Amino acid sequence: MEFKLEAHRIVSISLGKIYNSRAQRGGIKLHKNLLVSLVLRSARQVYLSDPCPGLYLAGHPGAPALPQQPGESVSGPPACWGEPPPPAACAAWPEPEPQLALPAVLEVPRAGDAEPAAPVTGAGDTLQGGEAEAAEAAWRRVEGPRETAVGGAGVPAGGSDIFPQGPGAARRPWGCPPGDEDKMSASPRVDGCRAPSPAGPEPPVPPAVCPRKRGAEGVGGGPADRPAPGSTPLKKPRRNSEEQSGGAAAAAAQEEEEMETGNVANLISIFGSSFSGLLRKSPGGGREEAEGEENGPEAAEPGQICCDKPVLRDINPWSTAIVAF
Amino acid sequence: MTTFRKHSSSSFNFAVNFSLVADVISTVEFSHSGDLLATGDKGGRVVIFQREQENKSRPHSRGEYNVYSTFQSHEPEFDYLKSLEIEEKINKIRWLPQQGAARFLLSTNDKTIKLWKISERDKRAEGYNLKDEDGRLRDPLRITALRVPILKPMDLMVEASPRRVFANAHTYHINSISVNSDHETYLSADDLRINLWHLEITDRSFNIVDIKPANMEELTEVITAAEFHPHQCNVLVYSSSKGTIRLCDMRSSALCDRHSKFFEEPEDPSSRSFFSEIISSVSDVKFSHSGRYMMTRDYLSVKVWDLNMESRPVETHQVHEYLRSKLCSLYENDCIFDKFECCWNGSDSAIMTGSYNNFFRMFDRTTWRDVTLEASRENSKPRASLKPRRVCAGGKRKKDEVSVDSLDFSKKILHTAWHPVENIIAVAATNNLYIFQDKAN
Repeated sequence: MEFKLEAHRIVSISLGKIYNSRAQRGGIKLHKNLLVSLVLRSARQVYLSDPCPGLYLAGHPGAPALPQQPGESVSGPPACWGEPPPPAACAAWPEPEPQLALPAVLEVPRAGDAEPAAPVTGAGDTLQGGEAEAAEAAWRRVEGPRETAVGGAGVPAGGSDIFPQGPGAARRPWGCPPGDEDKMSASPRVDGCRAPSPAGPEPPVPPAVCPRKRGAEGVGGGPADRPAPGSTPLKKPRRNSEEQSGGAAAAAAQEEEEMETGNVANLISIFGSSFSGLLRKSPGGGREEAEGEENGPEAAEPGQICCDKPVLRDINPWSTAIVAF
Repeated sequence: MTTFRKHSSSSFNFAVNFSLVADVISTVEFSHSGDLLATGDKGGRVVIFQREQENKSRPHSRGEYNVYSTFQSHEPEFDYLKSLEIEEKINKIRWLPQQGAARFLLSTNDKTIKLWKISERDKRAEGYNLKDEDGRLRDPLRITALRVPILKPMDLMVEASPRRVFANAHTYHINSISVNSDHETYLSADDLRINLWHLEITDRSFNIVDIKPANMEELTEVITAAEFHPHQCNVLVYSSSKGTIRLCDMRSSALCDRHSKFFEEPEDPSSRSFFSEIISSVSDVKFSHSGRYMMTRDYLSVKVWDLNMESRPVETHQVHEYLRSKLCSLYENDCIFDKFECCWNGSDSAIMTGSYNNFFRMFDRTTWRDVTLEASRENSKPRASLKPRRVCAGGKRKKDEVSVDSLDFSKKILHTAWHPVENIIAVAATNNLYIFQDKAN
């Protein structure tokens, strides 16, 4: 039990550090964030492995800890879209510059790994095989019934609303290539003797449309407010971030590489999505828990009520602490 | 040589204290001959000190370091593409070997390396024809006679001018630069890549190490420090956040992603904690002057490696083992991320590194004795010997001991340098620079 508390505390501290790192001068320090993410993983492992009957962990498939959509079946990984975020968190995003690109939640693919670019995503999906298909299937399954319930107070939001939505309405255009790091560099890799690896400059990563940015149209609206085709593009980045099991450091690295803006909300969304991998118990599982946790500090930032009571009640104590934090 | 083997106290004395009020010192480096000492600070300034020549009329001032030149090396920048502010803090300074009257050094911030030329001017030309002494142009029609300008002595003026700017080669933050023994090339290392430059060419660099994974989610380690071998111009080492060191040979392949040697000490499973990974991260790596050994600094210890033995270090010196039980608090206050540097003395018989509470530690490799000294104004009167300090880890605190709980963690000595030949050390304590010399000198 002590280990669990210690681990809990360390997770809180680590999350705080990563959260604060976005504001520091000079950009995110990759090294420090990597180390913090390693501590997070260690603490998480201890937390999850320390048997303690009193604490109930969300994240088991089918766990009733968090409200599910009616008729929604949460099957195995990675289909855990059943977990909605604290719905009011959807409204918690001040988005001064909604048009700013969300850098690299998506991964720059290896040459040859890139899937044929869907029209809305552009190049840059790094889904791996079967996992991708499962995710895709899960997404589709999930977003169907979800579309009708959007961000209403007390109502678990739809799959696309898993990330808190900001009030910023504009959706970022797809396919704008962010600054490619090699192109930006004035020193091309000049080496007659060595095989360039990867081949040529890395393909530009399109800025993922941040689901949060649907904001105004998503929050508090009914089904009529959410055009079905409009939600389609939002699936892609969501799915991609779902697939990523890496830590915040990876997200930070993405920030470094392709970052176009220092937009705070973007950063939080990146960290938020990456935490899902950190915090879920099994690959693809436990998203509920992750969502609750990551939304907590971020939603709390603008000072709005981030959790409605029904939701809070259902989140396990660990998540609650993080939310309060 | 080092005399602290004879006495329990070090005979380092003669503290010269310079207060650089403006900013925290971020790097300290002696030149190859030791007559110049460069410091960089968080404000992007470089301050160079010069050792005074021996002067019979002022015997006590022999060896004093006085300010020689001050210039602004880097300014804060804004990367508009990434909406990132680029700090002007000087991360590293490295001197080039002296080749003429002028002196050259490389200074770097997170993104840009600059080559600076520091030259003296002690003569001035006078007697120009087309302009008078004020510099105003003379009316050519009024010039009736021509004269040859003559050189007249003037007060010494030290000028620093940027000769090269090496920019736009690093996506991540530069942590190291190292001049090659060929005196023509140098490397710069950031978190994931190491680039090789030619000192004359600024518009391109060769990437020789790239550890960026194709999928950043798989990132597990970053490069923390890199250095060229002091004699073999094809050999370099780089350390990682996982506590490993890789030695690369540029002759074996142009891209040194595959190492020639891999140095790693197996982890002691009994000391595993949440923070094992953090404290094993190597913050500095330095070759010995001989080139036979290298030294690495992690959070709690300094290790000396024989380049011929990859399996474990040949020496491990504990810097502040009493902090091991405090790692959680040090994680909370971010001290666990402090990057301490380390340095060799000229003969490789002693090593030095910093700690907290303005303490720094010296280890004599031949006698295996170590000493803790403090860099503080109260304790350092000029020409007084430094008193060794002791930290009480627990139990009854003896007189003159400092208890672990009363250590001031805001007073950290991250940057130290040792004169390449003599027993003179430079210790940076936040925004103060201390220079100590051995009494025997």
